[in-house]
Amino acid sequence: MVVKYLRKAYTNFATYIYDIPPRMLALLLIMIFALLPMTRALDSSTLMMLRDASVMAILAASWDLLVGRTGQMSLGHALFIGIGGYSSALLFMHFGWPVWMVIPVSMLAGAVVALLIGLPCLRVKGSYLALLTLAFPLLLERAVYYFRDVTKAEEGIPPPPRLPAFFQGLIRLDARIAEYYLTLSLMVISAIILYKIANSKRGMVFVSILDDELASKACGINVTNYKLLAFVISGLFASLSGCVAVYISSFANPSFFGIRWSVLPLVVTIFGGIGTIYGPIVGTYIYYFLDMYVFRKIINISEWHYFGLTWEYATFLIFILIVIIFILKWPRGIARAVVEKLEDLEEARPIEELEQKMAKAD
Amino acid sequence: MIEGIILHGILSSCTFALLASGFTLSYGVSGIINLTHGAFFMIGTYFYSILLDVFSISIPAEFSILSLILPVIASTILTGIVASIYYRLTLHQILGDELATLVVSISGCIVFQQMIYLIFGSLWGMQLPVPELLSGNITIWNVSISYSRVLAAVTSFCLFVALWLLIATTKTGKAMKALSQDHEAAMLMGISTEKMYMLTAAISAGLSSIAGVMIVSSTTRVGSAIMWLQPLAISFAIVVLGGLGSLKGTLVGGLIFGFSRTIVELTVPLGGAIVDAVPFLILLCVLVVRPKGLFGKRVEMED
Repeated sequence: MVVKYLRKAYTNFATYIYDIPPRMLALLLIMIFALLPMTRALDSSTLMMLRDASVMAILAASWDLLVGRTGQMSLGHALFIGIGGYSSALLFMHFGWPVWMVIPVSMLAGAVVALLIGLPCLRVKGSYLALLTLAFPLLLERAVYYFRDVTKAEEGIPPPPRLPAFFQGLIRLDARIAEYYLTLSLMVISAIILYKIANSKRGMVFVSILDDELASKACGINVTNYKLLAFVISGLFASLSGCVAVYISSFANPSFFGIRWSVLPLVVTIFGGIGTIYGPIVGTYIYYFLDMYVFRKIINISEWHYFGLTWEYATFLIFILIVIIFILKWPRGIARAVVEKLEDLEEARPIEELEQKMAKAD
Repeated sequence: MIEGIILHGILSSCTFALLASGFTLSYGVSGIINLTHGAFFMIGTYFYSILLDVFSISIPAEFSILSLILPVIASTILTGIVASIYYRLTLHQILGDELATLVVSISGCIVFQQMIYLIFGSLWGMQLPVPELLSGNITIWNVSISYSRVLAAVTSFCLFVALWLLIATTKTGKAMKALSQDHEAAMLMGISTEKMYMLTAAISAGLSSIAGVMIVSSTTRVGSAIMWLQPLAISFAIVVLGGLGSLKGTLVGGLIFGFSRTIVELTVPLGGAIVDAVPFLILLCVLVVRPKGLFGKRVEMED
């Protein structure tokens, strides 16, 4: 019954919405998101949730360019969050640079680091590559503890001025709303750039490396250069995400290199679908939405005390379990699994009808 | 200084080699790189420290030695059971798919990590005390070494030899070797793949758990929920050094790793802070110079 209605809804969706060019659809979504704060329907916690989601969406999209498009498995994108965060915080603390200079420089730092780690990483493949990339954030985390004079280790680097202060002067807005707009616009800009790159001629080369490295080599493509390019682009945008994260959380501490930030892109990609750039972005919003509304507001998990357990941590556990289940069952992501399921049903319908008719005839 | 490096190096190498042997066994037999190996180190030590409490209450004081040994055995068995169930439920279904195995096994680590967070709550609650297996120190060549480290090294070495004997002599070991050499031919000979793989998963997790117990009983506390990452990196570094799937290589890799770690710890200023970075540096160097590992990649299981 439910499936029937879902299928009907999907057929309508596919016939009416798919005809609209994706560009328009994206524009519509962006406009809805841009107008949301005007309606005063959002409280500050929702604004904060959307703000964090926007920052993480940049990370997830950049991860998808490297992993979903080029097929270079990375479990170490926390590295770029850390590099972006620490470089911007350090630049501010030691040189007092303004925001508009710090952001490009820390993006550049992320790109340089991506180039440096890309060189050794390109020599290995598959599991080795994943393990090697997993190692880098931990190395850097150790380095943060080792050079504690510069980085202040556990204490973290004292807060740089909050980013929106710079914009608030220009457009008189509440701090939360200013942050929301800023992160949203950065997300939209980087998503558009990443999407354009992924669908450009070079982006096609990335996909060819994913599909068959040997064949692309045989076609005269310099695979090494393209892999490095993917690393650098991914690092550039991931460190932008780290840079913004430090400005909105106003603290740079070793948790920026934490395993959580390396695993999160994976989780949200499973929610949204791999290799599409927009999939992980949608997935990030779904993830944060579920985290905020279902787990915190509706069932209020942090107030639970059953069996003496700390249920707060069950949220991420459930997300990871969902990831495992979906990789075992539908390895290409939830969104695509649902769509494929519905399309299969749609194709299967005439045959079912035919069978029913034949059964009647008999 | 030299004496210290040699003694500490040998003692720590044995335990590290034991830790990595499980990893190499699981790769050698079933051909999967099971990253959850590190998590079994962690849950093994947590099982151990919980069981210590249970057994110390239920066992009378005159058999106090039993209340130390029984938890070791019980935690090893428990970890083995958990590992084989985990293997059957997840990794067995995606055999041969490298990327999916990778993602699922790293997610498995996070699952166990979150479970530890869930049960113990805060960072302070996670740190449980673990007694030394043997108290007291021994002095060799003017280097003071605690008895528990010697015990750990000896136990590890014995278990390593036992594993080698298991593979080289017993029927089960032969089945494992057969599976690693030719999966399909082994199945035709009537070896149950599923059972053997589950057994392998259990043995490798058990070895990891014993290594964990040995290591935590010389540091006298169970640390945090991130404890899976460090052992995973160590075992991967050792296995890559020695070549995947070769027990001899694992021993050599363990020695190289143990010594380099000890050298960094004892000679570099503030070495304690960066000693955790050693496995990653080794991994990086080896993979950059020789992407297939120091002794080349061996797919077959060797004695």
